[in-house]
Amino acid sequence: MPKHETPLMDDLEKGPWPSFVSDLKRQAEKNPQCWDIIGQMELSFKDRMTHWKHGGIVGVFGYGGGIVGRYSDVPEQFPGVAHFHTVRLNQPSSKFYRTDLLRKMCDLWEKRGSGMTNLHGSTGDLILLGTRTEELEPLFYDLTHDLEWDLGGSGSNLRTPECCIGKARCEWSCYDTQATCHGMTMKYQDEIHRPAFPYKFKFKFSGCPNDCVAAIARSDLSAIGTWRDNIRINQDEVKKYISGENVPNGGGIPAKAKKFDIQKEVIDLCPTGCMWMEGDALKIDDAECTRCMHCLNVMPKALRPGVDQGASVMMGAKAPILDGAQLGTLVVPFIKMDPDNEFEELVDVIEKCWDYWMEHGKNRERLGETIQRIGLPTFLRVMEIEPIPQHVKEPRSNPYVFWREEEVEGGWQRDVKEFRKKHAQ
Amino acid sequence: MALSIEELKEKIMEKALKGPKTQLYVKDFYACDPEAKPRAVKNAANDLVKEGRMVFWSSGSTTMYAAKERAQKEQD
Repeated sequence: MPKHETPLMDDLEKGPWPSFVSDLKRQAEKNPQCWDIIGQMELSFKDRMTHWKHGGIVGVFGYGGGIVGRYSDVPEQFPGVAHFHTVRLNQPSSKFYRTDLLRKMCDLWEKRGSGMTNLHGSTGDLILLGTRTEELEPLFYDLTHDLEWDLGGSGSNLRTPECCIGKARCEWSCYDTQATCHGMTMKYQDEIHRPAFPYKFKFKFSGCPNDCVAAIARSDLSAIGTWRDNIRINQDEVKKYISGENVPNGGGIPAKAKKFDIQKEVIDLCPTGCMWMEGDALKIDDAECTRCMHCLNVMPKALRPGVDQGASVMMGAKAPILDGAQLGTLVVPFIKMDPDNEFEELVDVIEKCWDYWMEHGKNRERLGETIQRIGLPTFLRVMEIEPIPQHVKEPRSNPYVFWREEEVEGGWQRDVKEFRKKHAQ
Repeated sequence: MALSIEELKEKIMEKALKGPKTQLYVKDFYACDPEAKPRAVKNAANDLVKEGRMVFWSSGSTTMYAAKERAQKEQD
């Protein structure tokens, strides 16, 4: 395949940052089809429109996800990308890889595809970029038999579950995110590989409210670690922060390492104002704590999450396709995340939500949009959850209170004649 | 009384072959047996894909079902 004249793409190699165009050119020396990617992108810039067709019938036998079909609409001009399918590989929990496995994967991808990868795509999967339809089955066979590696989710499936680094390396993790992510991936293989839903559905698991996988912003169901009891305080370490012996923020913000002022940098920044000093002791009114994690992040040696740990479940986050972007809404304030009972409480929440959404969600309607449409009170009833103040977003704007029949003594049944006797003229 | 899995599959196939639209969402098949649970309908539709009578069409974000011959004709 010949090189193309690509002045616009070449321009993207200028400037201080690494350029994907340079990477493409380097790969094209080995795999000439990459010249056609550059050529087609140049044409897209000129025409100000994409030259990929929308979707297609493509996949591996028995799977309805994991392969994203991409066909060029100018295949005569760029035969190297006539087919340019993307393959999503289910990344290991927290993205811990063995290097020998990565080498094998790269060798396989050089043989069966363009050799280009995304580590990682926005989905969290390891993305293999660009292969032909006839290469899909051999690639899938080698992946599953030699590398024991499976595809991730795409389309109207459960998308590849994702988690933060969790207890592997993080002192704040309130539950084992890797065990949860792996457990849910194994349990819901059918939902990952075969479309089951009105639209995509994403799980993401963060071990603490720092939410390092941005679960609350990106997933239909996010489990974010939290604790039910009090923040543990080591007053000796608090004193060391105040005296300057301990460096705040773990030394991560050098400018703040000098002259630490606990009042200014911790207490005054608490969003609920639940902290104060009594002499040289730090006090916290834990009932008011909103789990923002700021104080724990600033003074990790002095403060730790409580010991009664689990997760809060938020639902309905999404990107702004319809009705704008949404963060997840708190639905379940606290559940235990117990690998010994195979995360029974989480599974119960997931399946209750799925059973309703599969039946009542409209085509291409994310869970967050369904919740918006039916209203949170209705959704809480579906989930069999008693409303609590934390479910309330804002003061009521509707002056009416609507009662359901079962909430009213005697229901809607009454003797009208008996009632009217009181008003007889 | 819900249909048997085989009866449900035939109803789904009929809808996929004779309906005005080539590509259908899984929800479009719920009407084939209003008494069946969504999962049962999904499993029946996926069985038809395994049998090679239906295919998945995917945009990357959405997956739809289509009768194999109709979909192939449209794609060609």
